[in-house]
Amino acid sequence: MRSGSSGSPTGDEAVACDDVPVKTPRCDRCSGPAVFHDKKTGRHLCREHFIADIEKRVADTIRSKNLIIPGDHVVIALSGGKDSTALLMILARLLPSWDSVRLSAVTIDEGIAGYREDTIRSADRLVMQYGLDHASISFTELFGGTLDAFLKGREPEACSVCGILRRKALNVAADRAGATKLATGHNLDDEAQSVFMNVLRGDLPRLVRDSGSDSKGRFIPRIKPLMFISEKEIAVYLMLHGAWADLPECPYAVHALRGEVRGMLASLESKYPGTMLHLMESKTRIEAQCAGRLEEEPVRHCRECGDSCSGEICQLCTLKKTLSQ
Amino acid sequence: MHKALPVPDYCMKIILPDKSCRDAGPGPVTVETLVRDLGFDPVGVIVARNGTLVTEDAVVENTDEVRIIRIAHGG
Ligand SMILES: [Zn+2]
Ligand SMILES: [Zn+2]
Repeated sequence: MRSGSSGSPTGDEAVACDDVPVKTPRCDRCSGPAVFHDKKTGRHLCREHFIADIEKRVADTIRSKNLIIPGDHVVIALSGGKDSTALLMILARLLPSWDSVRLSAVTIDEGIAGYREDTIRSADRLVMQYGLDHASISFTELFGGTLDAFLKGREPEACSVCGILRRKALNVAADRAGATKLATGHNLDDEAQSVFMNVLRGDLPRLVRDSGSDSKGRFIPRIKPLMFISEKEIAVYLMLHGAWADLPECPYAVHALRGEVRGMLASLESKYPGTMLHLMESKTRIEAQCAGRLEEEPVRHCRECGDSCSGEICQLCTLKKTLSQ
Repeated sequence: MHKALPVPDYCMKIILPDKSCRDAGPGPVTVETLVRDLGFDPVGVIVARNGTLVTEDAVVENTDEVRIIRIAHGG
Protein backbone atom coordinates (compact mmCIF):
# COMPACT_ATOMS: atom_id res chain seq x y z
CA MET A 1 0.00 0.00 0.00
CA ARG A 2 1.29 3.39 -0.80
CA SER A 3 -0.89 6.25 0.19
CA GLY A 4 0.36 9.77 0.50
CA SER A 5 4.07 10.34 0.60
CA SER A 6 6.20 7.22 0.87
CA GLY A 7 8.35 7.42 3.92
CA SER A 8 11.61 6.84 2.08
CA PRO A 9 14.15 9.28 3.43
CA THR A 10 16.65 8.84 0.61
CA GLY A 11 14.45 8.61 -2.44
CA ASP A 12 17.39 6.75 -3.94
CA GLU A 13 15.99 3.35 -4.75
CA ALA A 14 14.97 2.74 -8.34
CA VAL A 15 11.24 2.67 -8.95
CA ALA A 16 10.44 -0.89 -9.86
CA CYS A 17 7.33 -0.40 -11.93
CA ASP A 18 7.72 2.84 -13.78
CA ASP A 19 4.54 4.76 -14.36
CA VAL A 20 4.42 5.31 -18.10
CA PRO A 21 1.59 7.62 -19.00
CA VAL A 22 1.87 10.22 -21.75
CA LYS A 23 4.54 12.06 -19.93
CA THR A 24 7.13 9.48 -20.95
CA PRO A 25 8.16 9.33 -24.63
CA ARG A 26 8.21 5.81 -26.09
CA CYS A 27 10.96 3.75 -27.70
CA ASP A 28 10.82 3.82 -31.51
CA ARG A 29 11.46 0.09 -31.67
CA CYS A 30 9.36 -1.44 -28.92
CA SER A 31 7.29 1.40 -27.38
CA GLY A 32 8.82 0.84 -23.95
CA PRO A 33 9.70 3.93 -21.88
CA ALA A 34 12.49 5.89 -23.59
CA VAL A 35 15.70 6.61 -21.69
CA PHE A 36 17.56 8.32 -24.52
CA HIS A 37 16.59 10.81 -27.19
CA ASP A 38 18.96 11.39 -30.09
CA LYS A 39 18.31 14.99 -31.05
CA LYS A 40 19.97 14.68 -34.42
CA THR A 41 17.84 11.82 -35.67
CA GLY A 42 14.87 12.37 -33.36
CA ARG A 43 15.09 8.74 -32.30
CA HIS A 44 13.90 7.53 -28.88
CA LEU A 45 15.27 4.34 -27.35
CA CYS A 46 14.37 2.30 -24.26
CA ARG A 47 16.96 0.80 -21.94
CA GLU A 48 17.40 -2.48 -23.83
CA HIS A 49 17.44 -0.93 -27.29
CA PHE A 50 19.78 1.86 -26.20
CA ILE A 51 22.31 -0.64 -24.81
CA ALA A 52 22.02 -2.83 -27.90
CA ASP A 53 22.48 0.21 -30.15
CA ILE A 54 25.65 1.39 -28.37
CA GLU A 55 27.19 -2.08 -28.47
CA LYS A 56 26.31 -2.52 -32.11
CA ARG A 57 27.82 0.84 -33.07
CA VAL A 58 31.06 0.01 -31.25
CA ALA A 59 31.15 -3.38 -33.00
CA ASP A 60 30.55 -1.62 -36.34
CA THR A 61 33.39 0.84 -35.70
CA ILE A 62 35.72 -2.03 -34.84
CA ARG A 63 34.70 -4.01 -37.91
CA SER A 64 34.65 -1.18 -40.45
CA LYS A 65 38.01 0.20 -39.33
CA ASN A 66 39.51 -3.23 -38.77
CA LEU A 67 40.55 -2.22 -35.26
CA ILE A 68 40.73 -5.74 -33.86
CA ILE A 69 41.68 -8.91 -35.73
CA PRO A 70 41.71 -12.56 -34.70
CA GLY A 71 44.62 -13.38 -32.42
CA ASP A 72 44.90 -9.84 -31.05
CA HIS A 73 45.72 -9.19 -27.43
CA VAL A 74 43.81 -5.98 -26.74
CA VAL A 75 45.04 -4.09 -23.72
CA ILE A 76 42.66 -1.46 -22.37
CA ALA A 77 44.17 1.74 -20.97
CA LEU A 78 41.96 1.68 -17.90
CA SER A 79 42.03 4.86 -15.84
CA GLY A 80 38.94 3.84 -13.88
CA GLY A 81 37.17 6.95 -15.17
CA LYS A 82 33.91 6.85 -17.07
CA ASP A 83 35.16 6.39 -20.61
CA SER A 84 37.59 3.56 -20.01
CA THR A 85 35.10 1.86 -17.67
CA ALA A 86 32.47 1.86 -20.41
CA LEU A 87 35.07 0.72 -22.94
CA LEU A 88 35.98 -2.28 -20.80
CA MET A 89 32.33 -3.22 -20.21
CA ILE A 90 31.49 -3.02 -23.91
CA LEU A 91 34.58 -4.87 -25.16
CA ALA A 92 34.02 -7.59 -22.56
CA ARG A 93 30.45 -7.96 -23.84
CA LEU A 94 31.55 -8.13 -27.49
CA LEU A 95 34.55 -10.36 -26.89
CA PRO A 96 32.82 -13.76 -27.10
CA SER A 97 31.81 -13.00 -30.68
CA TRP A 98 35.41 -12.57 -31.80
CA ASP A 99 37.90 -15.26 -32.69
CA SER A 100 40.72 -15.84 -30.24
CA VAL A 101 40.96 -12.27 -29.00
CA ARG A 102 42.38 -11.68 -25.55
CA LEU A 103 41.45 -8.77 -23.33
CA SER A 104 43.35 -7.29 -20.39
CA ALA A 105 43.91 -3.89 -18.80
CA VAL A 106 46.69 -1.57 -17.70
CA THR A 107 46.41 1.39 -15.34
CA ILE A 108 48.79 4.33 -15.08
CA ASP A 109 49.21 6.02 -11.70
CA GLU A 110 50.37 9.52 -12.57
CA GLY A 111 50.47 10.56 -8.94
CA ILE A 112 47.67 13.14 -8.77
CA ALA A 113 46.66 13.50 -5.12
CA GLY A 114 42.96 13.58 -4.31
CA TYR A 115 42.01 12.35 -7.77
CA ARG A 116 43.74 9.19 -8.86
CA GLU A 117 43.19 7.17 -5.66
CA ASP A 118 39.45 6.86 -6.27
CA THR A 119 39.71 6.01 -9.96
CA ILE A 120 42.41 3.39 -9.32
CA ARG A 121 40.20 1.72 -6.71
CA SER A 122 37.38 1.75 -9.20
CA ALA A 123 39.64 0.21 -11.89
CA ASP A 124 40.68 -2.56 -9.49
CA ARG A 125 37.06 -3.43 -8.71
CA LEU A 126 36.12 -3.54 -12.37
CA VAL A 127 38.88 -5.90 -13.54
CA MET A 128 38.13 -8.16 -10.59
CA GLN A 129 34.47 -8.25 -11.54
CA TYR A 130 35.30 -9.18 -15.14
CA GLY A 131 38.19 -11.49 -14.26
CA LEU A 132 40.72 -9.72 -16.47
CA ASP A 133 44.48 -9.55 -16.05
CA HIS A 134 45.48 -6.11 -14.83
CA ALA A 135 48.89 -4.45 -14.68
CA SER A 136 49.72 -1.10 -13.12
CA ILE A 137 52.63 1.24 -13.61
CA SER A 138 53.39 4.54 -11.88
CA PHE A 139 55.16 7.72 -12.92
CA THR A 140 57.28 7.32 -9.81
CA GLU A 141 58.47 3.90 -10.95
CA LEU A 142 59.12 5.06 -14.53
CA PHE A 143 60.22 8.67 -14.17
CA GLY A 144 61.24 8.96 -10.52
CA GLY A 145 58.46 11.24 -9.28
CA THR A 146 54.76 12.00 -9.23
CA LEU A 147 53.01 14.30 -11.72
CA ASP A 148 52.14 16.58 -8.79
CA ALA A 149 55.85 16.97 -8.00
CA PHE A 150 56.82 17.54 -11.65
CA LEU A 151 54.17 20.21 -12.10
CA LYS A 152 55.02 22.42 -9.13
CA GLY A 153 55.03 25.93 -10.53
CA ARG A 154 54.15 24.90 -14.06
CA GLU A 155 50.51 23.89 -13.66
CA PRO A 156 49.38 25.56 -16.90
CA GLU A 157 51.47 23.02 -18.84
CA ALA A 158 49.85 20.12 -16.99
CA CYS A 159 48.09 18.44 -19.90
CA SER A 160 51.01 18.55 -22.30
CA VAL A 161 53.50 17.35 -19.67
CA CYS A 162 51.13 14.61 -18.52
CA GLY A 163 50.35 13.68 -22.13
CA ILE A 164 54.01 13.08 -22.99
CA LEU A 165 54.65 11.06 -19.83
CA ARG A 166 51.41 9.07 -20.14
CA ARG A 167 52.14 8.14 -23.75
CA LYS A 168 55.47 6.67 -22.73
CA ALA A 169 54.00 4.96 -19.66
CA LEU A 170 51.22 3.39 -21.70
CA ASN A 171 53.67 2.14 -24.31
CA VAL A 172 55.86 0.56 -21.64
CA ALA A 173 52.86 -0.98 -19.85
CA ALA A 174 51.28 -2.31 -23.05
CA ASP A 175 54.61 -3.69 -24.18
CA ARG A 176 55.16 -5.47 -20.87
CA ALA A 177 51.66 -6.93 -21.06
CA GLY A 178 52.36 -8.29 -24.53
CA ALA A 179 49.69 -6.18 -26.23
CA THR A 180 49.10 -6.16 -29.96
CA LYS A 181 46.56 -3.30 -29.66
CA LEU A 182 46.21 -0.58 -27.04
CA ALA A 183 42.58 0.52 -26.65
CA THR A 184 41.76 3.93 -25.17
CA GLY A 185 38.39 5.33 -24.08
CA HIS A 186 38.42 8.46 -26.30
CA ASN A 187 34.83 9.33 -27.18
CA LEU A 188 33.15 11.43 -29.85
CA ASP A 189 33.41 14.60 -27.77
CA ASP A 190 37.16 14.07 -27.26
CA GLU A 191 37.73 13.40 -30.94
CA ALA A 192 35.65 16.36 -32.10
CA GLN A 193 37.52 18.59 -29.63
CA SER A 194 40.84 17.37 -31.03
CA VAL A 195 39.77 18.10 -34.60
CA PHE A 196 38.67 21.60 -33.60
CA MET A 197 41.83 22.27 -31.59
CA ASN A 198 44.06 21.19 -34.46
CA VAL A 199 42.15 23.53 -36.76
CA LEU A 200 42.50 26.37 -34.24
CA ARG A 201 46.24 25.71 -34.06
CA GLY A 202 46.56 25.43 -37.82
CA ASP A 203 48.07 22.01 -37.39
CA LEU A 204 47.06 20.22 -40.58
CA PRO A 205 49.53 17.33 -40.31
CA ARG A 206 48.23 16.55 -36.85
CA LEU A 207 44.64 16.87 -38.01
CA VAL A 208 44.99 14.19 -40.66
CA ARG A 209 47.44 12.00 -38.82
CA ASP A 210 45.62 9.15 -37.24
CA SER A 211 47.04 8.27 -33.86
CA GLY A 212 46.77 4.64 -34.87
CA SER A 213 48.84 4.99 -38.01
CA ASP A 214 51.46 7.53 -36.99
CA SER A 215 53.27 4.90 -35.05
CA LYS A 216 52.88 2.11 -37.54
CA GLY A 217 55.19 -0.70 -36.76
CA ARG A 218 57.10 1.29 -34.20
CA PHE A 219 54.72 1.39 -31.27
CA ILE A 220 51.77 -0.76 -30.38
CA PRO A 221 48.85 0.52 -32.49
CA ARG A 222 46.25 2.50 -30.56
CA ILE A 223 42.56 2.00 -31.16
CA LYS A 224 39.58 4.11 -30.07
CA PRO A 225 36.47 1.94 -30.29
CA LEU A 226 34.27 4.63 -28.66
CA MET A 227 35.20 7.37 -31.14
CA PHE A 228 31.61 7.67 -32.41
CA ILE A 229 29.89 7.38 -29.02
CA SER A 230 29.19 10.70 -27.29
CA GLU A 231 30.11 11.50 -23.73
CA LYS A 232 26.44 11.70 -22.88
CA GLU A 233 25.72 8.28 -24.38
CA ILE A 234 28.57 6.84 -22.31
CA ALA A 235 27.12 8.42 -19.17
CA VAL A 236 23.69 6.96 -19.93
CA TYR A 237 25.19 3.53 -20.69
CA LEU A 238 27.00 3.48 -17.33
CA MET A 239 23.96 4.77 -15.48
CA LEU A 240 21.76 2.05 -16.96
CA HIS A 241 24.24 -0.58 -15.76
CA GLY A 242 24.46 0.89 -12.28
CA ALA A 243 28.12 1.55 -13.02
CA TRP A 244 27.94 5.31 -12.68
CA ALA A 245 30.20 6.71 -10.01
CA ASP A 246 30.57 10.35 -9.16
CA LEU A 247 34.30 10.53 -9.68
CA PRO A 248 36.25 13.71 -9.14
CA GLU A 249 37.42 15.79 -12.08
CA CYS A 250 41.15 15.96 -12.80
CA PRO A 251 42.38 19.00 -10.83
CA TYR A 252 44.59 20.12 -13.72
CA ALA A 253 41.80 20.15 -16.33
CA VAL A 254 40.95 23.80 -15.65
CA HIS A 255 44.24 24.93 -17.17
CA ALA A 256 43.70 23.44 -20.60
CA LEU A 257 42.62 24.96 -23.91
CA ARG A 258 40.63 21.77 -24.27
CA GLY A 259 38.40 22.88 -21.42
CA GLU A 260 37.37 26.00 -23.33
CA VAL A 261 36.91 24.12 -26.59
CA ARG A 262 34.85 21.54 -24.74
CA GLY A 263 32.44 24.13 -23.36
CA MET A 264 32.13 25.82 -26.74
CA LEU A 265 31.45 22.59 -28.62
CA ALA A 266 28.94 21.41 -26.01
CA SER A 267 26.87 24.55 -26.41
CA LEU A 268 27.10 24.33 -30.22
CA GLU A 269 26.04 20.69 -30.09
CA SER A 270 23.08 21.65 -27.97
CA LYS A 271 21.95 24.35 -30.42
CA TYR A 272 22.89 22.46 -33.57
CA PRO A 273 22.64 18.72 -32.91
CA GLY A 274 25.18 16.78 -34.96
CA THR A 275 27.95 19.41 -34.76
CA MET A 276 30.47 16.97 -33.30
CA LEU A 277 29.74 14.31 -35.89
CA HIS A 278 30.06 16.94 -38.62
CA LEU A 279 33.52 17.84 -37.34
CA MET A 280 34.51 14.19 -37.59
CA GLU A 281 33.14 14.05 -41.13
CA SER A 282 35.19 17.12 -42.04
CA LYS A 283 38.27 15.40 -40.75
CA THR A 284 37.52 12.27 -42.76
CA ARG A 285 37.07 14.33 -45.95
CA ILE A 286 40.26 16.32 -45.42
CA GLU A 287 42.08 13.06 -44.76
CA ALA A 288 40.80 11.60 -48.01
CA GLN A 289 41.89 14.72 -49.93
CA CYS A 290 45.32 14.69 -48.32
CA ALA A 291 45.99 11.00 -48.75
CA GLY A 292 49.54 10.59 -49.95
CA ARG A 293 50.01 14.32 -50.51
CA LEU A 294 51.42 15.40 -47.19
CA GLU A 295 55.13 15.04 -46.87
CA GLU A 296 56.01 12.07 -44.76
CA GLU A 297 58.10 13.05 -41.82
CA PRO A 298 61.32 11.06 -41.91
CA VAL A 299 61.58 8.58 -39.08
CA ARG A 300 64.49 9.38 -36.85
CA HIS A 301 65.64 8.07 -33.55
CA CYS A 302 66.17 10.05 -30.38
CA ARG A 303 69.83 10.65 -29.69
CA GLU A 304 69.31 10.00 -26.00
CA CYS A 305 66.83 7.15 -25.67
CA GLY A 306 66.52 5.65 -29.13
CA ASP A 307 62.74 6.01 -29.36
CA SER A 308 61.51 7.08 -32.77
CA CYS A 309 60.83 10.80 -33.06
CA SER A 310 60.75 13.63 -35.58
CA GLY A 311 63.73 15.65 -34.34
CA GLU A 312 67.11 15.05 -32.78
CA ILE A 313 65.78 14.47 -29.28
CA CYS A 314 62.32 13.13 -28.48
CA GLN A 315 59.66 15.11 -26.59
CA LEU A 316 60.09 12.92 -23.54
CA CYS A 317 63.85 13.42 -23.25
CA THR A 318 63.39 17.18 -23.86
CA LEU A 319 60.79 17.27 -21.11
CA LYS A 320 62.84 15.19 -18.69
CA LYS A 321 65.61 17.80 -18.72
CA THR A 322 63.18 20.43 -17.45
CA LEU A 323 61.46 18.40 -14.74
CA SER A 324 62.23 19.43 -11.20
CA GLN A 325 64.33 16.78 -9.59
CA MET B 1 -0.95 10.52 15.68
CA HIS B 2 1.98 12.64 14.74
CA LYS B 3 2.36 12.72 10.98
CA ALA B 4 5.27 13.79 8.83
CA LEU B 5 4.70 17.14 7.26
CA PRO B 6 2.85 16.62 3.98
CA VAL B 7 4.76 17.50 0.83
CA PRO B 8 2.78 20.27 -0.84
CA ASP B 9 1.29 19.21 -4.16
CA TYR B 10 2.62 22.19 -6.03
CA CYS B 11 6.25 21.43 -5.33
CA MET B 12 8.70 19.46 -7.42
CA LYS B 13 11.72 18.22 -5.55
CA ILE B 14 14.95 18.82 -7.42
CA ILE B 15 18.29 17.27 -6.52
CA LEU B 16 21.13 19.21 -8.08
CA PRO B 17 24.53 17.79 -9.12
CA ASP B 18 26.12 19.09 -5.91
CA LYS B 19 23.53 17.00 -3.98
CA SER B 20 21.74 20.08 -2.71
CA CYS B 21 17.96 20.02 -2.90
CA ARG B 22 15.49 22.65 -3.88
CA ASP B 23 11.85 22.90 -4.77
CA ALA B 24 10.84 24.14 -8.18
CA GLY B 25 7.79 26.01 -9.30
CA PRO B 26 4.67 24.65 -10.87
CA GLY B 27 4.84 21.89 -13.46
CA PRO B 28 4.17 20.12 -15.67
CA VAL B 29 7.17 21.12 -17.71
CA THR B 30 9.56 19.32 -20.05
CA VAL B 31 12.87 18.12 -18.68
CA GLU B 32 14.69 20.33 -21.18
CA THR B 33 12.89 23.48 -20.02
CA LEU B 34 13.46 22.65 -16.38
CA VAL B 35 17.16 21.96 -16.96
CA ARG B 36 17.63 25.22 -18.87
CA ASP B 37 15.70 27.18 -16.24
CA LEU B 38 18.09 25.81 -13.64
CA GLY B 39 21.00 27.09 -15.71
CA PHE B 40 22.34 23.83 -17.16
CA ASP B 41 23.02 22.88 -20.75
CA PRO B 42 20.99 19.75 -21.60
CA VAL B 43 23.99 18.24 -23.42
CA GLY B 44 25.98 18.30 -20.19
CA VAL B 45 23.52 16.60 -17.87
CA ILE B 46 21.31 13.54 -17.60
CA VAL B 47 18.09 13.51 -15.64
CA ALA B 48 16.39 10.87 -13.50
CA ARG B 49 12.73 11.21 -12.61
CA ASN B 50 11.76 9.25 -9.51
CA GLY B 51 14.86 7.12 -9.93
CA THR B 52 14.46 6.37 -13.63
CA LEU B 53 16.39 8.00 -16.50
CA VAL B 54 14.19 10.12 -18.75
CA THR B 55 14.70 11.99 -22.03
CA GLU B 56 14.79 15.78 -22.47
CA ASP B 57 11.34 15.76 -24.00
CA ALA B 58 9.78 13.85 -21.09
CA VAL B 59 7.53 15.79 -18.75
CA VAL B 60 8.05 16.29 -15.03
CA GLU B 61 5.22 17.13 -12.69
CA ASN B 62 4.81 18.63 -9.28
CA THR B 63 4.81 15.34 -7.45
CA ASP B 64 8.07 14.15 -9.06
CA GLU B 65 11.50 13.94 -7.61
CA VAL B 66 13.96 15.06 -10.27
CA ARG B 67 17.67 14.39 -10.05
CA ILE B 68 20.09 16.29 -12.27
CA ILE B 69 23.38 14.53 -12.89
CA ARG B 70 26.26 16.40 -14.42
CA ILE B 71 28.39 14.53 -16.94
CA ALA B 72 31.86 15.45 -15.79
CA HIS B 73 34.91 14.31 -17.67
CA GLY B 74 36.92 11.68 -15.91
CA GLY B 75 39.98 11.01 -18.14
ZN1 LIG C 1 12.81 -0.49 -27.07
ZN1 LIG D 1 64.33 10.29 -26.16
